[in-house]
Amino acid sequence: MEEMKSLQVLDRFRGLFVKMGVDYPVMRRIVQVKLTMDARRVPTLVNKSKKKSQNETEDGNQFLRSLWLYVIFGGFSSMFVLMGDNLLFEASILFGIIMFMVMTAMISDFSSVLLDIRDRSILATKPISRRTLTMAKTVHIFIYLFFLTGAVAVIPLAVGLFRQGIGFFALMLLELILMDLLIVVLTALLYLVVLRFFDGEKLKDMINYVQIGMTITITVGYQVLVRLFDFTAMDIVFKPEWWQYLLPPVWVGAAFHTLLHPNGGLTYVGLAALSIVVPLAAFLLYLKLMPALERNLQKLAEPSTKSSQSSGKALRRLSDWLCSTPQESAFFRFAWALMGTEREFKLKVYPSLGFSIVFPFIFLFSNGLDQGLEGISGTRTYLFIYFSGIMVPSLIMMLRYSSQYKAAWIYRTAPISGEAPIYKGALLACLVRLMLPLYMAEAAIFAVLFGASILPDLIVAGVAMQGFAILCFVFLRKGLPFSEPFEAAGQQNQTLVIMGLMLLLGGFGLLHWLATTLPFGVVAYGILMIVGTWLGWRRAFRTRETKKEETPDGI
Amino acid sequence: MMTTTKDPVIKLANLRMSYGGRQVLNGVDLEVYPGQIIGYIGPNGAGKSTTVKIMLGLVEGYQGEVQVFGQHPGDGDASYMKRIGYVPEIAELYDTLTAREYLTFIGELYGLSTDEAEMRARRMMTEFSLGDVFNSRITTFSKGMKQKVLLISSLLHNPDVLFLDEPLSGLDANSVMVVKEMLALLAAQGKAIFYSSHIMDVVEKISSRIVLLDGGRIVADGSFDELKAQNHEGSLEQIFNQLTGFNEHQDIAGRLVSIVQEV
Repeated sequence: MEEMKSLQVLDRFRGLFVKMGVDYPVMRRIVQVKLTMDARRVPTLVNKSKKKSQNETEDGNQFLRSLWLYVIFGGFSSMFVLMGDNLLFEASILFGIIMFMVMTAMISDFSSVLLDIRDRSILATKPISRRTLTMAKTVHIFIYLFFLTGAVAVIPLAVGLFRQGIGFFALMLLELILMDLLIVVLTALLYLVVLRFFDGEKLKDMINYVQIGMTITITVGYQVLVRLFDFTAMDIVFKPEWWQYLLPPVWVGAAFHTLLHPNGGLTYVGLAALSIVVPLAAFLLYLKLMPALERNLQKLAEPSTKSSQSSGKALRRLSDWLCSTPQESAFFRFAWALMGTEREFKLKVYPSLGFSIVFPFIFLFSNGLDQGLEGISGTRTYLFIYFSGIMVPSLIMMLRYSSQYKAAWIYRTAPISGEAPIYKGALLACLVRLMLPLYMAEAAIFAVLFGASILPDLIVAGVAMQGFAILCFVFLRKGLPFSEPFEAAGQQNQTLVIMGLMLLLGGFGLLHWLATTLPFGVVAYGILMIVGTWLGWRRAFRTRETKKEETPDGI
Repeated sequence: MMTTTKDPVIKLANLRMSYGGRQVLNGVDLEVYPGQIIGYIGPNGAGKSTTVKIMLGLVEGYQGEVQVFGQHPGDGDASYMKRIGYVPEIAELYDTLTAREYLTFIGELYGLSTDEAEMRARRMMTEFSLGDVFNSRITTFSKGMKQKVLLISSLLHNPDVLFLDEPLSGLDANSVMVVKEMLALLAAQGKAIFYSSHIMDVVEKISSRIVLLDGGRIVADGSFDELKAQNHEGSLEQIFNQLTGFNEHQDIAGRLVSIVQEV
């Protein structure tokens, strides 16, 4: 086990921890072990074959390697620091972005840290005080938050230093720390509330839904943030309203405004004070509540008392109607059930579905609203509905993964000829269960916004989406559904393929747009899509008929 | 029952526990003395794991009196855990660590020094013929190997009470002999062992006292010979069946086979 740099930094605060009544050596050891384990989040299948027994030195950390993406996002958002002199606006937007990035990363990646139930039986049964355990967990989270925030904020910080001076820089640093505190507390509180009022499986589902809801809310919150400022006049005007007291980024913006341009008035001072007081108060509350969260985590490990007895008849009729062979229909129902019940799968996939719902609207509102809602009905901006497919490639890629990947031995031992029915059933289930409802909801809203005349276009776009999904399946690396561990997901270098597929989706949209400019163009495009999709369902799986994929993990 | 003049290490009095309206424990009274190997048995869902988790401070919200070494679990003072070793039912380990890293870590949590923990862990691993995988990651281990690591982790700090939940699962016959013998020796040295299992033959052989839990209540408590005398049955399995009111195993088996042959 290596000595991490983070731990050496931590040592400097030793006195502080001891003063808080924490058993420092034990806490340090727990954090060290946790960091070591994170660094090894590498698929077991790679380990086994490559290095047999002396796999001591695993250099680097998957998480740290993925940080560059956040650096780029941060770089884009530093634009706001460069833009103008309205500090309130700039800082609010910038912190809105940073908090959004950090919070979503926190929920999607760190729920596993916060909710690790192994800690209960391994750590809680040892002679360690509750306070030390709580602190170890908190420190673990903060170390990651430090890297994450650092990556997002490094470019904005540098830009701020050069453009706005040292005062801006120092204030931003302080506010970043405060906002990180707030984020940790908010996340933990969220879990605590959910854990308190529900139990067992219900609770795991709840976390999923909260995550999805959160993703959507935060994304929509952006729009609110941008609309805070009246763009109609050339200079940006801020109108204080009561609900702005609820938006943490606005507090931060006010803090910048108050301290660097001290002429704002009491509203700003009040808002600025919130940005300091609330995170600190929240953190104290957090330290008090953490043991309660730990206790409630036990619920995650307990079997849920009541299980719903769904008939499954409707599902069977659906699968028999959609699938051509009994085997395919069996795999359809299998995939359907797993997608609905596997927590980790939902945790990984559903938030991206949230994005899918929101994306078309973001484009719609940022591009098409110049003339207000009445103005859009005549335009062809409804084609933005194609953006609801933007997550299809990653969705289909995720189908391969499962936390119970080892159970994939059933594919080997069952007397199945060829893998076509497996893939086809799973892809169908994924489309019908996840994409179809999403698209229907989206289309319904669009139909209301644009009028019933766009219905044919929406149907055609729906078919095109199906064709797109098949293309995604063809281009992405194949792997039996639910047969690989989630840890392997980071290992695939499929980013380029996914980007390419997203461009392809744009291509579909563009083609559709061109078709609308020609007489009977949409009809022709629609026929093309229907034929293409029909052929796709027939052909795309044919190659899988005979040869079998290499087995992951030597199952 | 083994007679002893010492104070009980564990004392449960009228222990009750309910989960969301379902009463799991219904007034359990139990005193455990040093040197006893208690076979803690009962049907699935009888409340065995819950009892153990309460004593470990993992589950709170119980009613009644619980004392472990005179301390109350969950009162904030975790120091009594130093004298407890625990093997959970499901092999929960930080399995991305190597056996050396994991065991050293656990030893340190119990207050051993790094070197001491590592040395003891290495020696025990070697005795369990796992010396050559000491530096391998636990993910690569078989079920039996993981179980051995768990057993070692519960013994590193020389505890006075051992909570073992299905400790032999996955072990080969030779290792089972080793562990059974080891438990007998540990008990002879005055350690109390709390042994939950569904394998009645083993419980019958190694336990000095058998406690049968059913429906959240203790329905039998005594040595195997005492239970046999009370129930006029030959084996612990039969006593178990009789006390839990289960006597239709032949009918059920017959029906199962007839279903199998329908295809």
